[in-house]
Amino acid sequence: MANSLPTEFDVVVIGTGLPESILAAACSRSGQRVLHLDSRSYYGGNWASFSFSGLLSWLKEYQQNSDIGEEGSTAWQDLIYETEEAITLCRKDETIQHTEVFCYASQDVNDNIEETDVLQKSPSWVASSTLIKPLDSACLSEETHPLYVSSYEMSAKDTTKNNGEVTDAAETLVKEYCRYKTYKHTVSDGAKDETKPILEDNSDPPKRNRITYSQIVKEGRKFNIDLVSKLLYSQGLLIDLLIKSNVSRYAEFKNVTRILAFREGKVEQVPCSRADIFNSKDLTMVEKRMLMKFLTFCLDYEQHPDEYQAFVQSSFSEYLKTKKLTPNLQHFVLHSIAMMSDSPCTTIDGLKATKNFLQCLGRFGNTPFLLPLYGQGEIPQCFCRMCAVFGGIYCLRHKVQCLVVDKESGRCKAIIDHFGRRISAKYFIVEDSYLSEETCLNVQYKQISRAVLITDQSVLKAESDQQISVLIVPPVEPGACAVRITELCSSTMTCMKDTYLVHLTCSSSKTAREDLESVVKKLFTPYAETEIDKEELKKPRLLWALYFNMRDSSGVSRSSYNGLPSNVYVCTGPDCGLGSEHAVKQAETLFREIFPSEEFCPPPPNPEDIFFDGDDKQPEPSGTSNIVMAKLESSEGSKNLESPGKHLQN
Amino acid sequence: MSMEDYDFLFKIVLIGNAGVGKTCLVRRFTQGLFPPGQGATIGVDFMIKTVEINGEKVKLQIWDTAGQERFRSITQSYYRSANALILTYDITCEESFRCLPEWLREIEQYASNKVITVLVGNKIDLAERREVSQQRAEEFSEAQDMYYLETSAKESDNVEKLFLDLACRLISEARQNTLVNNVSSPLPGEGKSISYLTCCNFN
Repeated sequence: MANSLPTEFDVVVIGTGLPESILAAACSRSGQRVLHLDSRSYYGGNWASFSFSGLLSWLKEYQQNSDIGEEGSTAWQDLIYETEEAITLCRKDETIQHTEVFCYASQDVNDNIEETDVLQKSPSWVASSTLIKPLDSACLSEETHPLYVSSYEMSAKDTTKNNGEVTDAAETLVKEYCRYKTYKHTVSDGAKDETKPILEDNSDPPKRNRITYSQIVKEGRKFNIDLVSKLLYSQGLLIDLLIKSNVSRYAEFKNVTRILAFREGKVEQVPCSRADIFNSKDLTMVEKRMLMKFLTFCLDYEQHPDEYQAFVQSSFSEYLKTKKLTPNLQHFVLHSIAMMSDSPCTTIDGLKATKNFLQCLGRFGNTPFLLPLYGQGEIPQCFCRMCAVFGGIYCLRHKVQCLVVDKESGRCKAIIDHFGRRISAKYFIVEDSYLSEETCLNVQYKQISRAVLITDQSVLKAESDQQISVLIVPPVEPGACAVRITELCSSTMTCMKDTYLVHLTCSSSKTAREDLESVVKKLFTPYAETEIDKEELKKPRLLWALYFNMRDSSGVSRSSYNGLPSNVYVCTGPDCGLGSEHAVKQAETLFREIFPSEEFCPPPPNPEDIFFDGDDKQPEPSGTSNIVMAKLESSEGSKNLESPGKHLQN
Repeated sequence: MSMEDYDFLFKIVLIGNAGVGKTCLVRRFTQGLFPPGQGATIGVDFMIKTVEINGEKVKLQIWDTAGQERFRSITQSYYRSANALILTYDITCEESFRCLPEWLREIEQYASNKVITVLVGNKIDLAERREVSQQRAEEFSEAQDMYYLETSAKESDNVEKLFLDLACRLISEARQNTLVNNVSSPLPGEGKSISYLTCCNFN
């Protein structure tokens, strides 16, 4: 079957991250024959989302990946003619570093056979099961299942005597920990707790659910854990593109429900809409009036230059101090609304950011942000689907050995894949991480620090436990980076019931754990502690945590790559920003460069408007407005337009 | 726009190996055509057919794989929010039957656990070349708790029945869901398509 892959295309796209996927869709949409490849077994590259077991396999893959030496096979070099040159592509992905995993949730002895099995085989598990550390050094077992089946594999094995891959991995990790013990955490008492799991639990407040590690593993497919945590600005480029191209029909979205601030050790909700401000119980009447007045001014600040002209030279925070705003309001505006914590930003930038926030506010809901259900990883896939609908061909698990360059013209004319097949095309789009060390010799990368936490409670309790929150934690010391936190509830389809999935992101100055751990400690408390003082009790408990650094190639300019032919275009990996504006801009810019006269992602024909010659026995009654078309017609959607799922509840 | 002319809308998704006749089934049902013209599939995301069942209008939105199954690269998002899956194999192709467990794994992983799955053995018009016996398929579908049907898109055998039966089942499931609507467990499809989200401006 694999042999039926055509050998001639117009565009070959390597990598299925967001910019590559948008480009693939745009090219295919404009009639180009597109081949879209990814060497991984999953879509999205570093934009992917994983189930829990999928994430563990991903971590493991990174481990194995770095062990791959040169495979030796250079047979493909024989396929290069004398008039040609080869540009080798990268063998291993080096974009992820410093992965560290910590498990705090208890390993329930009575939970199931398979877990008991682990305990018997590895006594060390009992002693230190609350801490798993670090994955870097773990020697991992020989699993070769494609990622997308791993969760199933695991659950199948759970019921048998064999250990699932996850427990294998966990076991190895624990052993590793025992050997290295590099990291001390407050977990020593955990073991007692675990061997007698029923004990002391009664002292917990009744509402606290006890989630064990095996429950997380068992419910693993309920998780869709993003590698990059991003949101969609409701007036942003990505939303506009999704609507314009009709790609939005492939996904479902939810609004972020609240914006939070962290001030003086406390998490508070930031009132940002008119309704929020009026309903706020924390603000005094005077404060409400001050904030309303200021935000109303920001919406059309350009019309009132006299209000800020004198402060053009000063920083936004200085400016805010002159606006008769109380310190908490200043904090809200600076950190949570303008989101300008990092660099000292000018008054104009601050006003612009505030205005942008307020403008995004009204479109779909009470906050300016949307997120896709099932995780960020859905978005690149939606563009891939669009590409496929227009004839694009998709191959995951497909490695590319090299680009073939014609010496005379200096243009790239083909790729050679891992089967030694030559596939020719006119244009080549390659994601940064596929380029070899040699090509990237002069490239300077930034890094993103990430943490993924599974917790048992929200950082700010509310009437509904289904809140989706964004929280900016300003840097403690000047010059450091603010940490952006998104907390997702189970109805976002990214985590199991009674848990929250928390993403922390900042641009790196050190390793992810060094950058983020202090913030994690401020907001959360490890699960296993037995003596919890009252203050700690209020904090959500950490069940599981992962830290890692991801390469940020977003700032790399085309000219810093060595010797790339002009018809090879480079897409970058995810940036650190909250939105995906960078990826969309990049895709559009490259598309216009390649096909200057083509429209970028125009709306496709409506499936319901396509009529075939055939005798449709039951044609759609004429005059019925159709749901699909209407759904895609940009913003002011009427309320009856619902997704299929919704209609079920009619 | 509130007078959408149907009582139910369901998303039905076809999966199965390349070449088993998924597109043919859809085309046969929605347009009465066989074989479907090749070029026409380009740019067609899904096909629509509205049927009437016991006086109720049921709109079926039927999604095809867009060829992504060819190299086993179907996007997960394809499975999301599907109300029903039609898992198709070719009765004259042992290989397409042997791949079923792999497809089931994908379903397990990505589809809603409330999804209804139907197993379809297509191409019974080629009975003389049959490689997968009806009994084997029946046993398999029983073990997996799936409905099972054999069809011929070419002869239009059982195609109508396949979709209409499915529509009936979907209606009764939907009814049950409204009765025992468990608020605490969010269903896929609870999110909204972009334009549905309501507006409440700051001003």
